[in-house]
Amino acid sequence: MNTKYVIYIAVAVAVVSIVSAVFVYVYYEGQLASLRSEVTGLQTLVDDDGYVTSLAAYPNRIASLAPSNTEILFALGLGDKVVAVTDFCNYPYNFSAWVAAGNMTSVGDFKAPNIEVIASLNPDLIVATGGVQAETVKTLRDLGYKVLVLDPTSINGILQDIALVGRATDKNAEAAALVNNMSSRIDAVVNKVANATSKPKVYYEVWYDTQGVWSVGSEGFETELIAKAGGVNIFANETQKYFQTSSEAVITRNPDVMLLPYGHGLGPPFWVSFDEVKARPGWSSVSAIQNDKLYQVDSDTIARTGPRIVDMLETLAKIFHPELF
Amino acid sequence: MNKSEEVESIYSKRASRWKLIVVLLIIVLFITSVLSLNVGYAQIPFIDILRILARQIPFLNSLVPSSLVSSTEEAIILQIRMPRILTGVLVGAALAAAGVLYQGIFKNPMADSYVLGVSAGASVGASLSILFGIGFTFLGVGIAQIAAFVGALLTIFLVYNISRVGSRVPISTLLLSGIAVSIFLSAIVAILQVIAGERLHVIVFWLIGGFSNVQWKDVWAVLPFILIGVVAAYFFVRDLNLLALGDDTAQHLGVNVDKVKKWLLVLSSLITAAAVSISGIIGFIGLMIPHMTRLVIGPDHRILLPTSTIIGAIFLVICDAVARVIIAPAELPVGVITALSGGPFFIYLLRKKKGGYAL
Repeated sequence: MNTKYVIYIAVAVAVVSIVSAVFVYVYYEGQLASLRSEVTGLQTLVDDDGYVTSLAAYPNRIASLAPSNTEILFALGLGDKVVAVTDFCNYPYNFSAWVAAGNMTSVGDFKAPNIEVIASLNPDLIVATGGVQAETVKTLRDLGYKVLVLDPTSINGILQDIALVGRATDKNAEAAALVNNMSSRIDAVVNKVANATSKPKVYYEVWYDTQGVWSVGSEGFETELIAKAGGVNIFANETQKYFQTSSEAVITRNPDVMLLPYGHGLGPPFWVSFDEVKARPGWSSVSAIQNDKLYQVDSDTIARTGPRIVDMLETLAKIFHPELF
Repeated sequence: MNKSEEVESIYSKRASRWKLIVVLLIIVLFITSVLSLNVGYAQIPFIDILRILARQIPFLNSLVPSSLVSSTEEAIILQIRMPRILTGVLVGAALAAAGVLYQGIFKNPMADSYVLGVSAGASVGASLSILFGIGFTFLGVGIAQIAAFVGALLTIFLVYNISRVGSRVPISTLLLSGIAVSIFLSAIVAILQVIAGERLHVIVFWLIGGFSNVQWKDVWAVLPFILIGVVAAYFFVRDLNLLALGDDTAQHLGVNVDKVKKWLLVLSSLITAAAVSISGIIGFIGLMIPHMTRLVIGPDHRILLPTSTIIGAIFLVICDAVARVIIAPAELPVGVITALSGGPFFIYLLRKKKGGYAL
């Protein structure tokens, strides 16, 4: 085949495609831009993404894309407005039973919420989280949906998120009451443990198997929880939120208290009993194991950035400083 | 009839048979795509789907009053399902066409679209962008897509230049360099996954492949590359037929072997890079669809290339429809469905053709 001919055809097709692609892009951008300027909301809501969302009216149909968001929505009395939850939402109600009975819709796994499910519910407001949902959030916003991203990195951030949801849904009074309640309980704990003579070294285990050990670093707010409860995370000098380390690292840092999670939505935990944990090879020298200071903590409560974080703070304070309570 | 008229009539009968096959396949693709619009979580009656489509066609939309169509359903069909199906068509066509071209260049039945390290290069690009640049977009296209595309092309460029001897590219060297670079880049992806921390989910999801969040602008971004690549590749079908006879024979019959191979490499890498950038790594199609088509239609590239391309598109659209419903509302990755369904079917075809298999 004559190569010159091929080149001409290829260039022609290329030029046509690129020109039409540019035209279409400009057209769509124009549509989206006019859509954005139309909505002069009575709210300008800045979420944890730094994105400014404007609502034309208070939402009546709210979709929650994370268990923590579901808990916040129900705590503010918005339960009747929630139209969707995730497979992992289990508090304050047994949502799986609701979904099975047809009274609630699930968007699936919160790691990859089903866009079509969300679209078919026509929500006025979607409350999502960050991290792995970033792509989904971007797609939803491009499709024109209002999305609030709640991705707090500290306990204070959780309180601010609750206030934000209250503003967006005309529940300012309920949000203020909840935030005040949580703040006073937090302050009570912090003041109480300030009297403690020493801070126990705490090891929070996210996961353990033959491949390695997963724990939480300074960016994870579990570290802040432990600190406020009067302890010190042995990995507080690691910056990452969740990271993989080794048994050696834990043994060398010799924690006084071990926190083991149970109650993952994902099935049985990686540990069967405290005896099995104590029998781990090489771990017998760890202070927590020798003094039998192993505690199980509800992983839902400690990992969810919702209202129950205060319950966990109080529980941890009692674990670290039983003498003060 | 004399001999030459006999031969002419055989050729013209075959040519019209080929045209018929291609037209039939295009119709099947169209029907499959429209039926696939019916598949999804939201149960939208098919008549509503047809109404929504009709409203988009300039002459028919006067027949359908807007009151009959709900805007939610319209949004789902036009903004969510249609881009997915179009992506399935484009990616399936691209991977199958690239598979045909690679198998022609390498004369090796094991060659698929990813053999030169395209998938590894795209994975490195996407993983790096997910780790360091999330949120950045250029002309509305996500950074991961652009980085994957650039990564794939850079890898091909690297592999090509490693294996080049002057202006010739020995095929075995090309294959081996491709494998070596692939392994090296896969190790880099593994390292990136280990240091990813909480971005690991995002990277793994990208690598598994799928069309969950595809929008129109992503489709427009890859359409030119795939369109140019597939159309331009068609001009090389006669050369591909001759290459199958051997490099020397082809050279003596007038094919500029080095130039043709270089062009085919460029085109197939371009369309594979574009496909991978929008859909992640979807295996099986580039390898098996050309073989399956060859078993049914024969090795003549003049019919093999168009039919493989269309069959690849049909296959991926069907697999994506299955992926969307099989564990609803969650989604199975499309690559899993393509491998699960295609593997046994291919084995069945192989067994049926008892006379063995020849490239």
